[in-house]
Amino acid sequence: MSEALLSVRNLSVEYLTQSGTVYAVDQVSLDIEAGQQLGLIGESGCGKTTLMRALIQVLPRNGRITSGEVYFKGRNLLELTPAEMREIRWREIATIPQASMDSLDPVRRVGHQLEKLLKIRGGLSQAQARERAIMLFELVGLDPERLSHYPHEFSGGMKQRAIIAMALSLNPSLLIADEPVTALDVIVQHQILEVLQHLQDELNLTVLLITHDISVVAQLCNEVSVMYAGRVVERAAAETFFREPNHPYSLGLQQAYPNLRQPRDTLISIEGYPPDLRQPPGGCRFARRCPLALAECRAEDPALREIVPGHWAACLRSAEMDALREQAEEPLFWRETEAAREVGLSTVAAEATDAASANGHTAARGETAEEILLDMRGVSKRFKIGGGLAGLVRGQREQTLYAVNEVAFTLRRGESLGLAGESGCGKTTTGKLLVKLIEPSAGEIVFDGAELAHLDARAELAFRGRVQLMFQNPFEALNPRFTLYRSLAEPLIIHGWKDEEERLARILDTLERVNLQPPELFLDQYPHQLSGGQLQRVVLARALVLHPDFLVADEPVSMLDVSVRAGILNTTRRLAREMGLATVYISHDLSLLQYTCDRIAVMYLGYVVEIGPSHEVIANPKHPYTQSLIAAVPVPDPTLKTEPLRIREGVPRPTEQVRGCPFASRCPEVREACLEHFPPSVEIEPGHFALCHLYGEHAESPPLSEEQIAAATSTQY
Amino acid sequence: MQQEALVKEGMRGKTAAQFKQGSPFSQLWETNREVFQRDKLALFGLIIFAFFALVAILAPQIAPNDPFTPLKNADGDWISNTLPYWLAEPGEDEAEGFTNTFVLGTTNIGRDIFSQLIYGARSALLVGFSAAIAVAIIGTVVGLLAGFYGGWVDVVLMRAADVAFGIPFIPFIIVISAFFDPSIWNVVLAMSVLLWRDSSRVIRSQVLVIKEQAFVSAAKVSGASGLRIIFLHIAPSILPLSFLYGTLAIGWAILTEASVSFLGFSDPETISWGFMLQDAFNSLALSRRAFYWIVPPGICIMLTVMAGFFIGRGYEEVLFPRLRRT
Repeated sequence: MSEALLSVRNLSVEYLTQSGTVYAVDQVSLDIEAGQQLGLIGESGCGKTTLMRALIQVLPRNGRITSGEVYFKGRNLLELTPAEMREIRWREIATIPQASMDSLDPVRRVGHQLEKLLKIRGGLSQAQARERAIMLFELVGLDPERLSHYPHEFSGGMKQRAIIAMALSLNPSLLIADEPVTALDVIVQHQILEVLQHLQDELNLTVLLITHDISVVAQLCNEVSVMYAGRVVERAAAETFFREPNHPYSLGLQQAYPNLRQPRDTLISIEGYPPDLRQPPGGCRFARRCPLALAECRAEDPALREIVPGHWAACLRSAEMDALREQAEEPLFWRETEAAREVGLSTVAAEATDAASANGHTAARGETAEEILLDMRGVSKRFKIGGGLAGLVRGQREQTLYAVNEVAFTLRRGESLGLAGESGCGKTTTGKLLVKLIEPSAGEIVFDGAELAHLDARAELAFRGRVQLMFQNPFEALNPRFTLYRSLAEPLIIHGWKDEEERLARILDTLERVNLQPPELFLDQYPHQLSGGQLQRVVLARALVLHPDFLVADEPVSMLDVSVRAGILNTTRRLAREMGLATVYISHDLSLLQYTCDRIAVMYLGYVVEIGPSHEVIANPKHPYTQSLIAAVPVPDPTLKTEPLRIREGVPRPTEQVRGCPFASRCPEVREACLEHFPPSVEIEPGHFALCHLYGEHAESPPLSEEQIAAATSTQY
Repeated sequence: MQQEALVKEGMRGKTAAQFKQGSPFSQLWETNREVFQRDKLALFGLIIFAFFALVAILAPQIAPNDPFTPLKNADGDWISNTLPYWLAEPGEDEAEGFTNTFVLGTTNIGRDIFSQLIYGARSALLVGFSAAIAVAIIGTVVGLLAGFYGGWVDVVLMRAADVAFGIPFIPFIIVISAFFDPSIWNVVLAMSVLLWRDSSRVIRSQVLVIKEQAFVSAAKVSGASGLRIIFLHIAPSILPLSFLYGTLAIGWAILTEASVSFLGFSDPETISWGFMLQDAFNSLALSRRAFYWIVPPGICIMLTVMAGFFIGRGYEEVLFPRLRRT
């Protein structure tokens, strides 16, 4: 191995807290050679960010480095004075911290902030700084005109580009990026990944990328390190890592999340959570959650060993892994871990039904009655904003926000539908309309033959008993002052269950169904005493305790760690089949919807632009927007590099009603007619509709040239 | 595994009544306990209140004399402006024809100052607590309704709060005193009419935050009625705020009552610390350097007001940990 640019040796970091010392990073070693991109993966709380902060010595006040060395260009950074370290930061090692988009000063022009940095730290003159700022903006794909704009005039993706430009401003030797694309919409995420990829090629940048998203690593990195409970458990070249993961944790992580390109019937759920780092367990730290754990694993602490040249793993069974891999890829096998047994997941019944529901994924649809449960008939929702007294004072005139526009679809009993789209596309509003949390401005919602707007009080209560909602954030979804028993009893009490013992029996039964076992243990707990995954199961139990017919799940797993997501999805999917529940999943994540849903509807600016059977929509998308969305999803496979998107900037404001197609301003296939006429809904295959001119009478018309588009969009927007 | 099974055995067959029904209000008690465990000053405030409450209840037993009746010597003259026994020249009292047992001396019409001080605790606490309860209850209900329902309910209630904000406090009480007979209840009335404005604003803003949380939507989706959501789901979370405003109102009320009494708008039939100060002021006690007349009621007012603020501060530390100094 040649001389590494950054070489970390046996680094340990502790946090002193009131409840004891947290051994956050334990004897970690890594090397990054110049020009290499290293991805650091792991669940939250496994020490990734702490490690990053320790490298540049910006730990919180209660954190300290207890041992180890950090060699950067041959110098031990831990021996430098604070003044010398300041010189290193940003100039030599630049960082893009988590959520850094929001760290731009809102009252200064972005160009001013960038130039100031170049002048003070880079020692450039005003003219030189200006020149370099323009160059940097071009490098990250921003229009240099934007240098004179304020941060609020930037979209999220543009802010992130500006942050990257700032990080690169002093030509650092190493760039550390902590979750650079988390919380961005998938298309923006794709664009940022493109920028980073472009920079790697262009500048031969050395990158340390920290993320929980294995696909991002696959796209950007050529080396991978996996962290678990404060330690590195596997290290390999990216291609080896994705082809032949050695540590069971790496394997689990790779298969815990649905992959759009290679759909699977059931996902691996790594039950349990990382150990308490105040008292790290003896032996292998992963043993409790590992399906391959032997008795020795609990006694002996495996060291990081080189199995084949360049591939390191900390597992006692790493030599046998090639033989065990096939077995370990079987999701049911992961039910046999100690942690899974603790939450009662290894019960035979659950196994059998989960397996059955997996096989019946497509078959189930044929069996369910074709009875229509829910019918959305041209439903729209508009909000008035900026009006009233406050608007008058601020001099804003009242505007109408078109949140949901003429949405129409039907849902049969037992069927599952996914609502996909970027943030702000109206999918959550649609979900609220479905459960009658808000009333539509136009159109009708018919549930089981009754129009929702005209229910009397008794019928409304009956409706409330049949329709439930599952929330994104499990930490907010339960009343913090209720015990779980009380939370679960609440819907029953409202619906007139007077007998306490009956209520208890129903609650226990429901908790068992969502795999919280023994259910009695949970009843006296308060929400803050449970982990996110357990809480989401309780939220599911509350939704199901009345045995509803219809469930709306709004981003049910987006706040949870990757390892437990699959568990929640599998359980929800199994129960929906078991109880004949019609479900609407709302998510920005197409791979998740493909995994859970029979049909998918894609929304853009409040319109359903495409709807059809899941496999059809994913494998054979018709609408240009759906095509872009699918192309933008990063793939957890380093051999499949994503292609550049053809989608353009310029989302119209949701307060303006566009004359032609709502997507025309961004559409790569835009036609003359798209700017003039609202597109028709065309049935391309049976049950597969797209709201697009390309499949209507204008199918033959030629696409507009770049100049024509520019001319048309500049007048229209 | 075995232990787990045992736990299971023990749990199985438990009846519903054996689980914590988990009244949403049961945690309030813990919040209250946390306040006083965590903050020694708040505990000190609580002790002050307890002490004065005890004094107020046992006033007839503690007070050596009736606070109103002028005391007379053997000749039937008022024992006016007597020094406390620990300041007086020995033998002077016998020459005047009485025995000086007065801890804090007497007023210029021969009333026992110490007994007045004891009875003063009664009106102080009466005013303090009734005003606090009124402010807390009105503010909480208004805040809950305005915050939860929004729309015109909010507009009406909050414009009413704006009006209340616009009315100056002490002049308002003086006007009220002019309409009604002078009474300590004027202060309580005025505080109830005006001071809900602060607590209702703060509680409304808190309700606006809470009602957007998912558990409120969950209750709505389950079919819970508006009132059920307000009083069962939201109220428990904002009640500590009501306590906070209640404790702060105690101090305010006592201080206000003292000010009003000092200005001479109080009921001459009721002894309060403010009344004592006014009496002392009018009797030129200051020029006679009768500190034993002026200082004790002043200290009592200070202590009770301080106690209210200490407790309020303790609540603040628990409710808004971000304000806590590091």
